[in-house]
Amino acid sequence: MRIAIEGVGVVGGFGSGLQALADSLARGPAAADVASVPAEGETLSVRSMRAVSRGLEDFVERRTLRRVDHFSRLALLAACLALREAGPQPPDPKTLGVVVATGYGASRATFGFLESFVADGDALASPTHFSTSVHNAAAANIAIILGAQGPNLTVSQFEMSVASALHSARLMLLEGQAETILFGGVDESCDVLQYCRHRFFGAEDGEVMRPLDFERQTAITGEGAAFFLLRRAAEGAPSSCWIEEVALGNLADGPPRIPEDALVILGADGNRACSRHYARALRDARPVLAFSHHYGSFPTAQAMDLAVASLLLRGVVAAVAPADEDSGLIREAACCLKMDGKGDYGLVTLRRS
Amino acid sequence: MSTGSTVAVTGLGCLSAAGCTLPECMASLFRGVRDPQPPARFQTAHPVRYPVFEVPDRFLEDAAWRDWDILRTSRLALAAVREALGDAGLARAALRGRRVGVCVGTTVGSAMNNEEFYREYRSGGRPEMAPIERFLRSNPAAVIRRAFDLSGPCQTVVNACSSGADAVGIGRSWIRGGVCDAVLAGGADELCRVTYNGFISLMITSEVPCMPFDRDRRGLNLGEGAAMLLLEPEDAVRARGGRVRARVLGFGMACDAHHVTAPHPEGVGLRRAIGVALRMSAAERGEIAFVNAHGTGTPDNDRVESRALSDLLPGIPFLSTKGYTGHTLGAAGAIEAAFTIACLEEGRIPASAGFSVPDPDLPAHPVAAATAVRGRLALSQSLAFGGNNSVLVFGKA
Repeated sequence: MRIAIEGVGVVGGFGSGLQALADSLARGPAAADVASVPAEGETLSVRSMRAVSRGLEDFVERRTLRRVDHFSRLALLAACLALREAGPQPPDPKTLGVVVATGYGASRATFGFLESFVADGDALASPTHFSTSVHNAAAANIAIILGAQGPNLTVSQFEMSVASALHSARLMLLEGQAETILFGGVDESCDVLQYCRHRFFGAEDGEVMRPLDFERQTAITGEGAAFFLLRRAAEGAPSSCWIEEVALGNLADGPPRIPEDALVILGADGNRACSRHYARALRDARPVLAFSHHYGSFPTAQAMDLAVASLLLRGVVAAVAPADEDSGLIREAACCLKMDGKGDYGLVTLRRS
Repeated sequence: MSTGSTVAVTGLGCLSAAGCTLPECMASLFRGVRDPQPPARFQTAHPVRYPVFEVPDRFLEDAAWRDWDILRTSRLALAAVREALGDAGLARAALRGRRVGVCVGTTVGSAMNNEEFYREYRSGGRPEMAPIERFLRSNPAAVIRRAFDLSGPCQTVVNACSSGADAVGIGRSWIRGGVCDAVLAGGADELCRVTYNGFISLMITSEVPCMPFDRDRRGLNLGEGAAMLLLEPEDAVRARGGRVRARVLGFGMACDAHHVTAPHPEGVGLRRAIGVALRMSAAERGEIAFVNAHGTGTPDNDRVESRALSDLLPGIPFLSTKGYTGHTLGAAGAIEAAFTIACLEEGRIPASAGFSVPDPDLPAHPVAAATAVRGRLALSQSLAFGGNNSVLVFGKA
């Protein structure tokens, strides 16, 4: 049974809001920033697609945001943008649930907490950093600021986080545990994660991400959030599109079933270890698209792919890169497929009507 | 889409400081035994040695995964799965060809906070990447799925202190939704310096063994452990001649939407979650034998729960088992679910360890001695950072 997407909000390296994402899709991604990361007594220059939560104060008073960190701010902004897109009638907060997917959680607060007691001793560990480092901090802040009293869930499953969390969000709606759900994915970058990526993969192969070049390591770290206001299907046509199915599996049990009429969006993001599984996942030689070069590589980027899919199904985006004029962009359905390095997949099917 | 199946618990596995199996834990609880000590596996520079509840390392004896390079949290989870499957009388081979899902709650198990790595990094050194690699292969639900070669949905819930209860509730949904033939649902968490320092920094830890609901309570003690419940559709269990230990009749989840760490003073979310869970299970108040409260021993938590229970479930006995296990964070809701089922089977609950002097500010008090209980249902509730409140309703088989 399907669920409806009523509103979509995004914030990433391309800016904030669906228009910013659409503009990036139309003109091509902006060049990545170059970040200076301390490493081994020197400074590493690494490419990075950083997101800023500019515009959040249009929705939330600055005073309220005083103790809200970057991770939660990204999620909050995307959630507020999704609510705004959904229309002037806000959902009933008593029956509004919040479901968040995150790969690494609030990593800056996590390492900030470590820093506090490594630098200053155990007795001076920072309570603020500790309380903001819990993985469900974003979901909590969204609930507190929006007054959402329905179920509140955070899932962390690396690249499978989005599909896994969406699977639960869908069930919550179908069971009536909530009338509406703010669902989204959020991840932030930080120096330690950038350093780890450098140690594992070395420098990027080239200056731009080439997500469909499965043989090369071209991933550039990104960060951001994409949120969706979801409701049950029974209440009429959605403002955006439908989520028809969420499937989780492993290639060892067979490839994912992708509808014939669906546009295929791969979550390939220039990480070779994951990319090699995409070819195995696709049963036929149909055209595929990938958009991670617009927002970078991070575990919950599949949520961004879903946002792009919603734009494509609405016909908002007329052209996408990499160019594939034969892809038949105004399709009835789109599938967003994310693979991890072990052959696990998360497949989300969206449909226009 | 819903199958409407009654969800049966057919296997239980549990380890905590109280014991390395569920029967061991229950024996300790009913003997009134508890022995929190300063941490043995790590050192800190705090002037006070706050006691914790550690799981003895003998749980690793004869474990096939003893030498796997994974986090302790995952090892605890695997041990609980092993016991649960054994309890259900199911060998690994019996799971092949079935859609078996895994849903695990945790906090430490999903946190990339290896202190040794970070110290080396920040000092300008070149740290070994092994701790990071270990973290990346230690997502608890993924570890269980790989270890037992399962094919079904896989989810790690990171909802802080209600994670374990939430995982059981989600597992119930998967069965009811026809998503899986069976679900291993539970929680696991290990003790470590990071959470030890974190809770001390919040000034909610007790320097003495914790005293949930007691007038003189001073805070929580941390613990570690794991519990896993094997959930199956009851009609399938009956068809294979299996044993039903209990039923998961209801699950309520609601958010206070109040504060990042403190519960709503009126327990708004808890009251809503209790209501949802009771409605879902079609429970009459008179059928409820007892409540296993979250009962951390902090002034705020215990006050909120006492008020809510006094208003909504007056006269129904309740207890906290954290006086025997410490607060096991992501594992707590699952461990307490296992204890709740075991107590329901036995028709008795242990004393609420650490409670001896009623707090005059609290309208309801836990049981101070082992108590016989009557009723076919029991509740287990968990409150969490972020304002999550989760309530499970179990029914006797």
